[in-house]
Amino acid sequence: MTNHQNDIRNSRSIMIIGMNPAENHPISMQHILTAKETNRAVIISVDPRFTKTSAFANKYVRIRSGTDVAFIYGLVNIILANGWEDKKFIQERTYAFDEFKAEIAKYDPKTVSDITGVAVADLNWVARAMAENRPGTVIWAMGGTQHSHGTGIVRTYCHLQMVLGNIGKPGGGCDVFRGHDSIQGVTDIGGGPETLPGYYGIGERAWKHWSAVWDVPYDWLLARFKNKEMMEKPGFTVARWYEGVLMDPKDLGQDVPIKAVMFWGHSTNSMQQMDRVKKALEKVELIVDVDPYVTNTAVLPDRSDGIYVLPAASNYEQWNSSVNTNRDNQYRQRVVSPVWEARTDLAIMVDLAERLGFRKQFVSNNKGGWRGIPADVKNVKEFSEQTMNDVLREINVGALSIGYNGHTPERLKRQQEWAHVFDIKTKKAVGGPVNGEQWGLPWPCWSDTHPGTPILYRNDVPVSEGGCGFRANWGPKAPDGRTLLAANGSAPPDGPATGYPAQKDYATDLSQAAIKEALKEGRSPYGNGRARFNSWNIPDPLPIHREPIHSPRPDLIVKWPTYDDAKEHYRVPQPYKSMQKPDWVKQYPIILTTGRVVEYEGGAAGERSTSWLVELNPEMYVEIHPKLANDHGIRHGDWVWVETPEDMDGQPSKIKVKAKVTKRVGPDTVFLPFHWGGVFEGKSLAGKYPEGTAPLTTGESANTVTTYGYDRLTQMQETKTSLCRIKKA
Amino acid sequence: MASETRVSVPIRQAAGPEGKYASARMKFYIDVKRCIECGGCEVACKNENNVPPGIARIRVVTINEGEQGETNVAVPCMHCSKAPCVAVCPVDALFHRPDGIVALNKETCIGCGYCLYACPFGAPQFPKGAPFGARGVMDKCTYCAGGPEVPLSERERRLYGSNRIAEGKLPMCASVCATKALVAGDAEEVANVVRMRMAARGAGGGAWGWESAYGKGN
Repeated sequence: MTNHQNDIRNSRSIMIIGMNPAENHPISMQHILTAKETNRAVIISVDPRFTKTSAFANKYVRIRSGTDVAFIYGLVNIILANGWEDKKFIQERTYAFDEFKAEIAKYDPKTVSDITGVAVADLNWVARAMAENRPGTVIWAMGGTQHSHGTGIVRTYCHLQMVLGNIGKPGGGCDVFRGHDSIQGVTDIGGGPETLPGYYGIGERAWKHWSAVWDVPYDWLLARFKNKEMMEKPGFTVARWYEGVLMDPKDLGQDVPIKAVMFWGHSTNSMQQMDRVKKALEKVELIVDVDPYVTNTAVLPDRSDGIYVLPAASNYEQWNSSVNTNRDNQYRQRVVSPVWEARTDLAIMVDLAERLGFRKQFVSNNKGGWRGIPADVKNVKEFSEQTMNDVLREINVGALSIGYNGHTPERLKRQQEWAHVFDIKTKKAVGGPVNGEQWGLPWPCWSDTHPGTPILYRNDVPVSEGGCGFRANWGPKAPDGRTLLAANGSAPPDGPATGYPAQKDYATDLSQAAIKEALKEGRSPYGNGRARFNSWNIPDPLPIHREPIHSPRPDLIVKWPTYDDAKEHYRVPQPYKSMQKPDWVKQYPIILTTGRVVEYEGGAAGERSTSWLVELNPEMYVEIHPKLANDHGIRHGDWVWVETPEDMDGQPSKIKVKAKVTKRVGPDTVFLPFHWGGVFEGKSLAGKYPEGTAPLTTGESANTVTTYGYDRLTQMQETKTSLCRIKKA
Repeated sequence: MASETRVSVPIRQAAGPEGKYASARMKFYIDVKRCIECGGCEVACKNENNVPPGIARIRVVTINEGEQGETNVAVPCMHCSKAPCVAVCPVDALFHRPDGIVALNKETCIGCGYCLYACPFGAPQFPKGAPFGARGVMDKCTYCAGGPEVPLSERERRLYGSNRIAEGKLPMCASVCATKALVAGDAEEVANVVRMRMAARGAGGGAWGWESAYGKGN
């Protein structure tokens, strides 16, 4: 997120779209409700479901799942028609507004109302509320991203905020809430298949930078790959890895199929098309599951061998630092040594590296490597605190692109000791040895004296106090020749009062001289550029509404089509139009959406093994509106089949779940929580758990019936919009 | 009751109507404009006090679920000043501590269930599962103050759960509340928190557009 959760206390309007913080980020509601109480902030909840969050909104807007681009463009259309846009911000700090404005003209309120199902009066209400109550924030999560055009949806949220000038201000921001523990940190250190740590990509320059950080010869790294092309080619994503097992290698972006799969703290019941995941798990040669619990992965495939479960320590059993949604880096103490046979993640990794023959390279770096690792790691459960700190120091050395150099273990630990001196609204320390620091030293944190950057793109404070412009990541000029540098007069104070490109080599100069040079002159090392309405280098340079692959509106599929098929994307073919059947809606007339509930997290192997949580939410269910239930002869508590159309497998999928009759969903939509596992298409798998490891509740996985559909850029799965039918079991 | 029983009672810091050193009067306040039904209080209570499944010393009740006006309220024992349960208990197993906490002596309790019918909040809990719903000895929210035993003793822990009050801490449910909807402490302090929130909110929550929210005035 550009701002931080505490900063929502400064907001005067809060649009929560594709997001249910009352269930998924309960603590954030403290800040949201404080803004409502003390600022009279208007809260707008936009969602296909009337969620627990919607109950606290001043305005609830029920939207058809997957039509967010049209909804936001409808708001912008009204904002521009009334002249409510922030002209100064647009002129000084953005690129290609004119083209954007031309695109917006296609989305008049009536058209938008037809696409989204939102009344024109409600569009007007929301547009006026956002315009009259600035600064305002837009908050989203998976409801925005898990669509076949999720990138477009997310970009329009940002564009709305650019039009309103709600960026770089306390109380404003594009505030996507990250979900899991340290998932922001995982992104930062390169958990994706398309980049090395710090968003450097995987080109030769990136590999050379990191080979210098790791003190490992580039040629040695190159020799680990088949060739240079494969070294620089993005791998499979978590969304579609299983196609690498199942598809004919001649259709893949590599000549061999995937032979082994290792899950490290990831569940399979959170993966779309889980019936296809099951087939891949049955075909692959080796499965390793590293987790504190025996997960759905271990019981899903019908196979008797080749599955290895490695017990991992929980976060309470290891020292570590984690990065939360605010970009805050926080130090965590080990509470107890790993219990029973559990081992820390790092112990498992180093042991594995040793057995695979590259321990020396794995633990080395240009600061002398990780200390405190015994010569023989085979029976070691954990390393010292010093080892964990050395891992963080390595990130400090290398991830300069986003200013990860400032949060040293020493500073994080000191903040932990002085946590009480940080202000709840600004997250800034008052007095003590941490005076002036931001809690968690949110990146970019450019030096070991820099306070961190709690609010990105803020140009009314100096860089030394957390100011910065937009990152000048695409050079000084766009391909059309127009400038990408901020206008004269728009820059953080105490530096040049104009736009400027990124400091040369700031991200790769390990001496950090380039960063220091920029800071000395009051400049942000990554430059002072413009935010782009037109991103020429990705699909849909200007986002446009595209109907979901499983759209209930054949007429709109023609007018707002999905993408053309993509030949290869993350090593697999990614069809769109050829996977779509516009008349699906005749047989499958109900929109299917999925999501989370407060008691469980992700695949929930741990939570479903906790008696108190299971007591609160004991059974898998489907939410059905009373009208829809009555039309189908279904009563609250009845067993029902939820069935979806054929996807990659060419056959329909179905699950048997209990009916929860509720007005949370509209009469055109049903909702499935996705946390359950251990039952597959009506058959229990509970007997397959090793003795004593079965969770207290098993149930059908929502993702058994979620269907094909992936984002065109990120390959995020389209689990928020599908089509289904229901019948009493 | 064990012979060494001492009840550790919090002392009010500021001068109040009862004088500087009057004992505090412990209260809960549940802010229905803030409770989001996350269940944190329910789970934390069970973990802290080792409460078995089927017993809810605190539970979150939701009305109008999924509809306009959906409201949540966490319901623990309210530790009433004129507690009906204390009035009806035939064996005086229920009693007021000097700090206002309604405490229970499980060894005196005969499990008659009068308190269950007297309590407006459903606070008294009875073990379930036996034929014909046999009641057994009552269990309820202790305000995390244990029971009439040696504070922090193993015996107290087994019979009543934790004693955070003796440790100088607030009840676990209020300590973990995500939105600070559940407020616990000395009645004066709790009242101050409520007063400040009400002043900030004004009528109807005070937010922009409230008059037209859900198409109704409020």
